[in-house]
Amino acid sequence: MSDTVAFVVNGEPRSLEVEGRTLLVHALRDGLGLTGAHIGCDTSQCGTCTVLMDGRAVKSCTVLAHQADGRELTTIEGLASDGELHALQRAFVEHHGLQCGFCTPGIILTAADLLARNASPSDDEIRHALRGNLCRCTGYQGIVESIRAAGAAA
Amino acid sequence: MSELIGVARPRIDAPDKVTGATRYAADGFVHGLLHARLVLSSDAHARIRGVDKAAALAIPGVVAVLAAADLPIASTGTDRTSEPLAREEVVFAGQPVALVVAESEAAAQDGAEAVLVDYESLPPVVDVEAAMEPGAALARTVAETDEESGDLESIHAGVDHGQADDPQEELSGNVLDRITRERGDLDAAFAASDAVVEGTFRTPWVYQAYIEPQVCTAWVEPSGTLVVSTSTQGSFVTRNELARAFDLPLERIRVIAEPLGGAFGGKFALVEPLAAGAALALGRPVRLVLTRSEDFAATNPASAQVTHLKLGARTDGTFTAIEGRMIVDRGSNAGWGVEGITSSLVVGPYRWEAHDIRGYGVQTNRFTFGAYRAPGAPTAAYALESLLDELAGKLGLDPIEMRLRNAVVEGDIGISGNPYPTIGAVQVLERIREHALWASRDSLPDGEGIGFAAGHWPGGNEPAAAVCRVDTDGTMTVVTSAVDMSGVNSGFAVVAAAAFGLSPDKVRVVTADTSSGPYSGASGGSKVMYTVGKAVLRAAESAREKVLAAASQELEIAPDDLEVVDGVVQAVGAPDRSVTVEELAKKALRYGGRYEPFEGHGGSAQTSGAPSVAAHLSHVRVDRETGEVTLLRHVIAQDVGRALNPALVEGQMRGGATQGMGWALFEELGHDEDGRLLNGSFLDYAIPRAEHVPEIETLIVEVPAPDGPFGAKGIGEAPVVGAPAAIANAVATAAGTRLYELPMTPPRVWKALRS
Repeated sequence: MSDTVAFVVNGEPRSLEVEGRTLLVHALRDGLGLTGAHIGCDTSQCGTCTVLMDGRAVKSCTVLAHQADGRELTTIEGLASDGELHALQRAFVEHHGLQCGFCTPGIILTAADLLARNASPSDDEIRHALRGNLCRCTGYQGIVESIRAAGAAA
Repeated sequence: MSELIGVARPRIDAPDKVTGATRYAADGFVHGLLHARLVLSSDAHARIRGVDKAAALAIPGVVAVLAAADLPIASTGTDRTSEPLAREEVVFAGQPVALVVAESEAAAQDGAEAVLVDYESLPPVVDVEAAMEPGAALARTVAETDEESGDLESIHAGVDHGQADDPQEELSGNVLDRITRERGDLDAAFAASDAVVEGTFRTPWVYQAYIEPQVCTAWVEPSGTLVVSTSTQGSFVTRNELARAFDLPLERIRVIAEPLGGAFGGKFALVEPLAAGAALALGRPVRLVLTRSEDFAATNPASAQVTHLKLGARTDGTFTAIEGRMIVDRGSNAGWGVEGITSSLVVGPYRWEAHDIRGYGVQTNRFTFGAYRAPGAPTAAYALESLLDELAGKLGLDPIEMRLRNAVVEGDIGISGNPYPTIGAVQVLERIREHALWASRDSLPDGEGIGFAAGHWPGGNEPAAAVCRVDTDGTMTVVTSAVDMSGVNSGFAVVAAAAFGLSPDKVRVVTADTSSGPYSGASGGSKVMYTVGKAVLRAAESAREKVLAAASQELEIAPDDLEVVDGVVQAVGAPDRSVTVEELAKKALRYGGRYEPFEGHGGSAQTSGAPSVAAHLSHVRVDRETGEVTLLRHVIAQDVGRALNPALVEGQMRGGATQGMGWALFEELGHDEDGRLLNGSFLDYAIPRAEHVPEIETLIVEVPAPDGPFGAKGIGEAPVVGAPAAIANAVATAAGTRLYELPMTPPRVWKALRS
């Protein structure tokens, strides 16, 4: 009962065989080895599996692999370009936006979506944009500072 | 190069973590991997009549259905290592009963749903106070054997276990542990008090909520070695637990601690016996990744606790007597509970003329208790610091001034009868007293309040070792087996760099596995930087001595007249006479080389304590219509000994304070009357989100720990301890009434406002 789906992932066309019930996060992790999309819950609350689909942040645990057919996907592995970290990645390193790092890819990609629509968000807007992402380590302050700094740097 | 200490710099693991390069324990590719899914008990207390595997085994892709008897377990206890799958009696809803192993995760899931377990229900014990009554139904009917129950208690804190049991009180067999801590004439001390306050405080089961669910992959090498790749706080303790479970020699087990996606006390040998047992039984690699629902139901959250406390003081604010009765709900954990820690810490960092504290560890049919950041401490501080505010109110004293009058200093006798080591209680209280937010507490709009509270954590000790190795490119590799839970590897890099004389960006830190790594205890109890950090310091010094010996021959200068600065060995006062560490290493590490490799081994066996004190100011607004509490601002001051990397220290302070906000306002695992979990998902169990958490201002106080590396101490646990109490005190001020139960949810606050 498997089918082929094809999408562009981090700039490269990829195709793979998936079952109808296969979630995008499983296709990325198990099918393509893109393990930067993490699995932290089973109710779509934690946001660790967030990726960009056609530029918008989606929780890849709520998207069937089939729904991504023909779409363009960016995962955390594809955010840097030509060996240069993305402004958000640099900011998270420099402004201490992470501790254990498990929530980090999802939060960075959520922030990428936010900054694409609003380059200089207020702290309240940043915190609101993060309502679908959980972090247990940092208390969020370093994350908010990192996103603010990345917006200012862009 | 001690100028390297105290500089904020990025975590050494940050680049890999922001690019998705870090491989967590669920991420590694393993050839021929099988996937496991748990079958969890639906009943809180039942006898297992049978496990029907047939329907599950008929599902394509299902390889095996394993029940307790199918795992090659040799150990006979009822702890989670010895009984990872329930044998005869289920003692909590969510307890693993069977393991379905399949070629895919989806097939394992389908199989788990098809397993039929036949239960004979037994009365569930869910009310911890009723469970203590003589004649109460027992939460476990199969008697605990005398089997050794491992080494999981000593990991968490440096406290003693109190005095002898009190034989007078008649209690049920559910009471597994009684602790008595007494000193002085309590009655006389209360009689000499000008004010006495008392109250009973309730706190719920609280979940660690690490974002990475528990996960383990296990396989058996052709040589027979069991290899376990896992998300754990301690590799050696996991190895020892597996050796005990399966009666294997230590050298036949290799535990690899992968990068940890959060743990906070909760990741200690829960999933490893399951994955390892399946791998040993089936002879194929097996991975068990808990779903979040399984992680909620089947792991080991923090105990619910009932704390009755009574305090006295004189008009000048001098504390007189403290009397406590602390009931800890251990759930099914027969091995240990936090009654020892909580009954020790409930006196706070204060002097008392007399104390009488009783602690009780009680079994029920709820979860298996586990450690969560400063286990037993936030609950104790919540009760104590709430009542101290009541006491200050009765006596008309400033709450901080009153506490300062009683704050312990080095040499004061603690509850265990031993003198306090260096402790920064006074410095921390004085620092936060000066904050402008405290001065503004009497000029707030209606419905707002500012609360203060302090909390402390004793730290812990365990011998540890480390290795520092210099390579031919002049860089250094530090090897330890300490799991990096809180950023310790970044701290080790700075310690090694400063002790050796190298830029920290030339230092790499590797976490070794149990087959080759230097010994290290588990990461927990706020002891890693104090103990392993000291070993790293000594290892770097030892490597430096070998470099100096080689340089001495090259430069023809006595070692005592040489120094290492930024990777260059030079004559003191004559830096032009120099040779680089890189050049020396190239001469040493080659065929026919003349110098011993520049490798240092360092060990530590700390015996002194290094307690950390943290104090909080919380500014809140209470909505009188809805009962909702909004956190407006938070300030934390903490004695950290010496901040090796202030950015990471502040991260611990903010993270701890935020978890305290969860305790205070949001977090509570609830059960129905049959002991079934009501809110086992992030949909129903709220942890603080970005919008809930206010700006947290950090005030680092440095009272160097005499034996710590560059004065540093363990700092991870102290910041959570006093946070719930500070918020409770702020809510009491804002609402004009005090709540005696956490979390302070809108319904509870609303009710309190109307009572």
